[in-house]
Amino acid sequence: MTRRRIAPWPLGLRAKVTVSFAAGALVLSALLAVGTYLVARDYLVEQRADTALGQGFADASFVREGLRTAGTSVSDALGNVSPPRDTVVFVRRSDEWFSSSLTQGRDDVPVALREQVRSGAAGLVWTSTQDGPGLAVGVPVPAVEAEFYEVVATPDLQRTLDTLLTVLAVFAVLTTLAGALLGRWAARRVLAPLDVVAGAAARIAGGELQTRLPSTEDPELVTIIGSFNTMVDALQERIERDARFTADVSHELRSPLTTLTTSVAVLQTRRESLPERSQAALDLVSVELGRFRSALDDLLELGRLDAGAAGQVRSRVDARDLVRNALQVSGRSANLLTGQSPERLVVDVDKQQMNRALVNLFDNADRHGDGLVAVSVLGNGGWVLVNVDDAGSGVPPDERTRIFERFVRGGSRGSRPGTGLGLSLVAETLRAHDGLVRCVEVPSGGARFVVRLPRAGEEGS
Amino acid sequence: MWRVGARLLVVEDDDGIRSSLSLALQDEGYDVVATSSAEDALDALRGAPMDLMLVDLMLGGMDGFTFIRTVRPTSDAPIIVLSARADTHDIVAALEAGADDYVTKPFELKEVTARLRALRRRGGRPPEPEQAQDLVVLDSESHLVLDAGAGRVRKGDGDVHLTVTEFRLLRELASPAGRVLSRQSLLASVWDRGFFGDERIVDVHVRRLRTKIEPDAGQPRLVVTVRGLGYRLDTR
Repeated sequence: MTRRRIAPWPLGLRAKVTVSFAAGALVLSALLAVGTYLVARDYLVEQRADTALGQGFADASFVREGLRTAGTSVSDALGNVSPPRDTVVFVRRSDEWFSSSLTQGRDDVPVALREQVRSGAAGLVWTSTQDGPGLAVGVPVPAVEAEFYEVVATPDLQRTLDTLLTVLAVFAVLTTLAGALLGRWAARRVLAPLDVVAGAAARIAGGELQTRLPSTEDPELVTIIGSFNTMVDALQERIERDARFTADVSHELRSPLTTLTTSVAVLQTRRESLPERSQAALDLVSVELGRFRSALDDLLELGRLDAGAAGQVRSRVDARDLVRNALQVSGRSANLLTGQSPERLVVDVDKQQMNRALVNLFDNADRHGDGLVAVSVLGNGGWVLVNVDDAGSGVPPDERTRIFERFVRGGSRGSRPGTGLGLSLVAETLRAHDGLVRCVEVPSGGARFVVRLPRAGEEGS
Repeated sequence: MWRVGARLLVVEDDDGIRSSLSLALQDEGYDVVATSSAEDALDALRGAPMDLMLVDLMLGGMDGFTFIRTVRPTSDAPIIVLSARADTHDIVAALEAGADDYVTKPFELKEVTARLRALRRRGGRPPEPEQAQDLVVLDSESHLVLDAGAGRVRKGDGDVHLTVTEFRLLRELASPAGRVLSRQSLLASVWDRGFFGDERIVDVHVRRLRTKIEPDAGQPRLVVTVRGLGYRLDTR
């Protein structure tokens, strides 16, 4: 059995920059701290050793002067030396050891130092004392045939070094934090133009094709902003060309279609006098012309929406009147409108465009959803909702957004596929009315198209 | 039913639409005169007055707007515009030029016949006998009187020239005066339009009516707007 590898958490660009800055600051500050510590320690230690050596020679000459005076014992000479705190003085004379401390003896003087002094040279070694690390200084005093030693504990030196270490460590940590903050700030600053680009791209995707990035003096950004704006220019031109083409084609089709429908109407009035086969053919032509007309109306309406001519002729109407009339003009029963609420649900809409949108939703329910089941209108805060329910098996979640795109056609149950324009017309009409349309699921399993319109006040023209 | 043989002028430069409309409207009982340009239409009008007109806005030569403005001073017959677009500007401009209603292409025959029937219905003169005695004083100051029976509006000794539709709108507002009528109800009673009718038709006609009967159309005191509700006729 292979264990599934857990993918590492992907680090964002911002986090990456922050971490890099922090790591850099940490390395630099750590190097600096270590260096500072080493130099300072060497200096302090050397200074301490010099002091101890100087003190040792001074004390040694003092003892020597004492011992030269006839009759003075070593103990007396030692007694006259008043060593500083932490310092113990030893004198060896004729293999006899004297100490200024009651508790310390010759064993506290390092052997190496003793041998060096015995050979006639003064010396200094690091050692450990009862009070921690210390220095041992040895000076031969040949004039009185004695050897002089001083053992100095250096807790102050240790304390100074400890403090230095702590301070440096704290500074290293602070520098790292400062590095992280700097990185965060820098990342934000560097990524700010990217956010602007992302925002512009989102607006363009949302249909605001006029969106452009503001020009800049920044030489680093000139290229990307230039390319971006050029890309959007090209995109806009292409979209507008497509829209213009569609508009031109549909405009061209209006006159022949009008002639066709009018001529077919003339034929229909004489239907009874036609042979049976001609009647059947005429009926086919009539039905197909109806579809043609409906598709062309959708195209023309989309062209108007593209041209920004949507929702210009607004009137305030009760949404239920709107739905009831849309049901009636499309040859459906007004009883499909369910739910009665006492309050008026007024919306400010272009009635004809909203009618077209609603009828498209009803047609969609009949065509793809096994039939329109119910339409309900309800108020929800500042919104008016129109729910259009069908009897089908619902729309798969991953298709619920896509079905509102232009020329996307759902799987049709009947033999009559739609034009792929109906739902996109609904979506764009609602967008032009500051509303929206969504597809959701109802517990019964069918699809529900929810139309949401801003609720208007009763006042107004 | 309307009178058989109502004279209908069709001005349309698209051969297909003109021919098919002529066929269909002749079937409906109209006496159709079809022309392909505004100039020809003006010639035809010089020959004989028309009861109704169907006018395309986009014509070669003189356009539909100019044609309507040229015809209006001498003809009060209902004019229905065949508009290529449902654009706001075109339709409002045509209505302001004097058109009574509009149909946008592509249209279906039944839309055209419904519009024609609505404007023809009760619109022609002379009026129905039962309205023969109606006299409404609209403005005693300027001696403005609606004579529904005679189908005209008198101001002092002269007549105020109203189109058929303007007259019907005024008559609707005046029976009786003082009621607030919504745009919807005016659309239904004068234009026979349903819920989805264009309320701007009412607004433009009210504007046109005001310029003809109000002492100061900028400060209307006869046909007043009732905000959020509609219009009301206040007689003085």
